[in-house]
Amino acid sequence: MARIELEHVNLTFRVRQERGIRLKDFILKRLFLPSRNPIMEVRALQDINLCIEQGDRIGFIGHNGAGKSTILKMLAGIYQPTSGRRIVEGKVSSLFDLALGFEIEASGWENIAYRSYLQGETPASVRAKKKEIAEFSELGDFLNMPVRYYSAGMLVRLAFSIATAIDPEILLVDEVLSVGDLAFQNKARQRMRDMMAKAHLMVVVSHDLESLPHVCNRCVWLDHGRIRMIGGCAEVIAAYRSSVDQPAIAA
Amino acid sequence: MKAYLGAIWACRYFWLSLVKMDLRSRYRGSVLGIFWSLLHPIAMTTILCVVFSCAFGQDLRTYAPLVFTGLTFWGFFTASAVQGCMCFFNGEAYIRQHPAPLAIYPLRNVLGAAFHFAIGLGLAIIIGVLVGPDIGSNPSATRLSQALALPSLLVSSLLLLLFGWSVSILTGLFSVRFRDSRYLVELGLQGLFYLTPVMYRIEVFKDKHRLTALLQYNPLVSFLDLIRDPILLGRIPSLTTYATATTVVLVVSVAAVTALWIDERQLIFHL
Repeated sequence: MARIELEHVNLTFRVRQERGIRLKDFILKRLFLPSRNPIMEVRALQDINLCIEQGDRIGFIGHNGAGKSTILKMLAGIYQPTSGRRIVEGKVSSLFDLALGFEIEASGWENIAYRSYLQGETPASVRAKKKEIAEFSELGDFLNMPVRYYSAGMLVRLAFSIATAIDPEILLVDEVLSVGDLAFQNKARQRMRDMMAKAHLMVVVSHDLESLPHVCNRCVWLDHGRIRMIGGCAEVIAAYRSSVDQPAIAA
Repeated sequence: MKAYLGAIWACRYFWLSLVKMDLRSRYRGSVLGIFWSLLHPIAMTTILCVVFSCAFGQDLRTYAPLVFTGLTFWGFFTASAVQGCMCFFNGEAYIRQHPAPLAIYPLRNVLGAAFHFAIGLGLAIIIGVLVGPDIGSNPSATRLSQALALPSLLVSSLLLLLFGWSVSILTGLFSVRFRDSRYLVELGLQGLFYLTPVMYRIEVFKDKHRLTALLQYNPLVSFLDLIRDPILLGRIPSLTTYATATTVVLVVSVAAVTALWIDERQLIFHL
């Protein structure tokens, strides 16, 4: 049984203006000078309460910076909540930052293996899936080449093919539908639909208000890190639309 | 803790395949292949032997194995510490995508370094067996006692691996917090090199009391003894040596576990 429960979850980022500090500066400034690189706090998620049951299809909507992607990464376990309780039961598969995480010196085939292992596959299951992944990516002989020589589009294609070759229990998706050229996009859409249908539970972040009601049964409207509204898709989307000037925001 | 080790084990295929790739890409296109990694310690040993046997009249038969084992260990130690500084940056893309345990990224580096160490150790054993134990330093040594002592290297290597992994975790976490750590680590290692009996015998300083004291407190000495006693002196390392080395490993690994405990959930915000 897949289930997600969030109780009073807060997530606060503590970031510095400049990425990272030097030990030299740290010692000098702590001792003698006030810091010129202060820590800033960003309250990314505030008091989130949410219960997602088996079979649910949840869509998150909201402005850029409302915390949609953050909540997804928090569900995936990449960010830990600063306070509150996060319960995730079931194996999580996530689709975000697709183009990241390639070993550029290794060939396409090798990268298929690495990423599959990271997703929890074993050598045996990778061997079984390898061919199907290669076929779906349509990369052919390019797979023998180091990934260093791939175009951005080819990389995303490969990443998408690997990431979607799974039987997900909990599926987390961060609008990844715009992959590759037009023909590939149609194929990718179909694949996403199949995978979403298979998942026991799904959470998707999207700006595509038109298609959300087709894939989701509930919507959550996030605003500045807080849940503004939870409910049926039609109702939440209507409320969200009326709150913004334009009828719809394209990504 | 147990669950954490379980998580590391669960993604073993991932880090093992990355280690394999690191090794393969390192040797790709080089005719010498694996022997390439031996070239550095061999060349260094040759240079040092020439210099020291000419300048200080060292006996090559005992000096060459001494330097070679020293450099093999030193290579592993510096690789663990220096590459460890970069490990989380190199794994950043994976860290941002998957909640895999952070300790696997230092492990990736250390296993690569351990591979080179194993090759070096193999060659050191061959040299040691060919030359025979150094009877000048350990009169009771025979070829038989040497052969009997060699299996102890297995345990020592495991201790070393744990030591390298912990050092790597520490330098890795430290350099995420402080970006200039790598230079400091390199500088520190440079100094430590001369304070460690890598290319000399600790007995050289017998009559200079201050230096001996300093050397006695160098935790790395016990690791060198663990390697050198069986190969060079043909005897199993003393209980004191084992106790010292184990204590050092324990202290460093407890520090590494504590650092991970603190940083595991936060590291991503600092990357």
